[in-house]
Amino acid sequence: MALLAQYVVGGLAVGSLYALVALGIVLLYRTSRVLNFAHGDLATFGTFLAFAMLTAARWPFSVSATLSLLLTAVLGAAFFFFIIRPAKESSLLGKIVITLGLALVLQGATTALWGTDTKIFPFPLSETKVYRLSGIVISQLSVGSFAVGLVLMAGLYGLVQHTRLGLAMRAVSQDTVAAQVLGIPVKRIFALTWGLASALGAASGILLAPVTLLDPYMMLDPFLKGFAAAVLGGIDSMPGAAVGGLVLGVVESVFAGYISVRFKTTLSFLIIIAVLVIRPEGLLGQEYKRRV
Amino acid sequence: MKTASRLCLVVALLVVAATGAGAQSQERGVTDTEIVIGSSQPLSGPAAFWGQGVGGGMDAYIRMINDRGGINGRKLRLVLRDDGYSPTRAVANVRELVERERVFAIVSLIGSANAFAVRDYIIENSVLWVTPTADANMWAGFRNKKYLFVTYPGYVDEGRILTTYAAQKEGAKSVAVFYQNDLYGQKGLLGIKRGVAETKIKLAGAVPYEVTDRDMSGHALKLRQSGADSVILYATPTQGALIVREMAKIGFTPKLFASFTLADPLMFQLAGDAWNGIILTAYFPVPGVGDVKVDGMLDALLKVNPQLRASPFNALAGVSFIEPFVEAVRRAGPNVTRDSVVRAFESMKNWDGDVIRGVTFGPNQHQGINRIYIIKSENRQYKKLTDWITYPVGF
Repeated sequence: MALLAQYVVGGLAVGSLYALVALGIVLLYRTSRVLNFAHGDLATFGTFLAFAMLTAARWPFSVSATLSLLLTAVLGAAFFFFIIRPAKESSLLGKIVITLGLALVLQGATTALWGTDTKIFPFPLSETKVYRLSGIVISQLSVGSFAVGLVLMAGLYGLVQHTRLGLAMRAVSQDTVAAQVLGIPVKRIFALTWGLASALGAASGILLAPVTLLDPYMMLDPFLKGFAAAVLGGIDSMPGAAVGGLVLGVVESVFAGYISVRFKTTLSFLIIIAVLVIRPEGLLGQEYKRRV
Repeated sequence: MKTASRLCLVVALLVVAATGAGAQSQERGVTDTEIVIGSSQPLSGPAAFWGQGVGGGMDAYIRMINDRGGINGRKLRLVLRDDGYSPTRAVANVRELVERERVFAIVSLIGSANAFAVRDYIIENSVLWVTPTADANMWAGFRNKKYLFVTYPGYVDEGRILTTYAAQKEGAKSVAVFYQNDLYGQKGLLGIKRGVAETKIKLAGAVPYEVTDRDMSGHALKLRQSGADSVILYATPTQGALIVREMAKIGFTPKLFASFTLADPLMFQLAGDAWNGIILTAYFPVPGVGDVKVDGMLDALLKVNPQLRASPFNALAGVSFIEPFVEAVRRAGPNVTRDSVVRAFESMKNWDGDVIRGVTFGPNQHQGINRIYIIKSENRQYKKLTDWITYPVGF
């Protein structure tokens, strides 16, 4: 029983980080219908920015992390203003392909600036300091990441559901033209969403880096898992992304423990396929209908 | 019309004759002033750390050779291609290197799965291939190895030696294996199984991972569940560091053993205290343990490319792959052809480079080294535990 609990706790810890990645993907998707394949690389770039500020400039963690989130947000918004918006004639698929291009550019830039060697990311919480509770072990870092993840999720939910800005974001996501007619600055809302989603990515990267170690490809697996979590929870639903991340983390961990560790990675692909076949709107998503 | 056809035929025949004559007089990739060599490495992707270190080490070494005037008046030119550790990209790269870049030889090429994917093409096209950075045991029984020369250990031999050492010298009773789920890890696992068969040790479990996996919590629990008193690692530096950290976190502290692929001093940083006491193998003298030639080579490499400081062992490994080739070209003299270089390779008897030592080739021996030794990490340094341990020459 303690073993099962250990698998569940491990799954929740990693699942909260999948959820953060998924939230960034979903936030952008529900506003612009663009699946951002550069999300993982934006997150990595943001994490490296924080790393540079922590190690080269030796700034405190709080300053480095905040500045990195801000800079990544600016980068995301700039990407919308200078690349996505000028390409407004392109189809949705075209925009998605542009994000793939951005992913390659960011990956190249990260490699050129910081090299490919694996690095230790300095973090105020310890991975080796652990708490034991009736046979279950959890590290200080996991507890901290889980808590920060929950706070960020709650904050984002509050922003989207209970502020005028969130209302504007929801309006744009439902009908861009009508929102524009009603005086909502659509371009600014899009840029803000890009910025917010990118910052969320950087936050997940900063929380993941001490666990996964830092290199230009660290987000390859978490991005895939975040994507699977978004599909599982409902790619249109923010609570769905959060629940999807946690469920995926736990299911994956228990699957590895009791069924097959070899097919653990394959599981997320199977989940994507199963959800798309059985319930395409995901666990908490609503069936997507468009008026014609 | 008939006259035009005849004219075309004559022109075509002349072209064929001219190119044929050219090919006879000119060896592919060799001119009076340079020799072109190619390599495909994971310069990006999950194994980029290996590729950048090895590729960077080879490049720096070649620049050193060229700065000294090259070999018999010819400079070396390295064409490096990135395969991202993907076998399909390695195949495309090798085809490009051979058909478009027309390289004289391919040196290294990291990854057992990648080497496996390109080996038929390279062998069929009679390309000189020096030390594929892949399990050397894959070549035993493989035919047409005239142009293949290897100074890299086999993971099967290594796994067997590491396991028998664990059982006989370290008192291990049961081992679990953490391995990469591709040819690299699988060959290591095969060697460990052979070691298990030779000793009274028990194989308690084998836990695979995919090269993109980053969450190792489940893997660590599985290893603990196996009840093994020792764990052997066949992993990349990232996953190797992650698993030992994760095991330490859950309070599982078995005796640790690992392949030489994890011998880079970077592991002291990545894995921290959890790397203390781990036992590994090595096939050339590790830097910083008092070998003057290896330490001197590392200093020289760092002068050419200071970034190699991030992966000194891998940079030296890159040199170890290309050193015998440079020596063979030197021995071949001014007339550099594939056959003259093959003859030069086959004349090497117990040859020592600055990094690789004791290289012996012959007409019936293209496996240049057949020995490793055991090292142990102590206080962030490696200490030699044994003298050379030899294994049978396989090809």
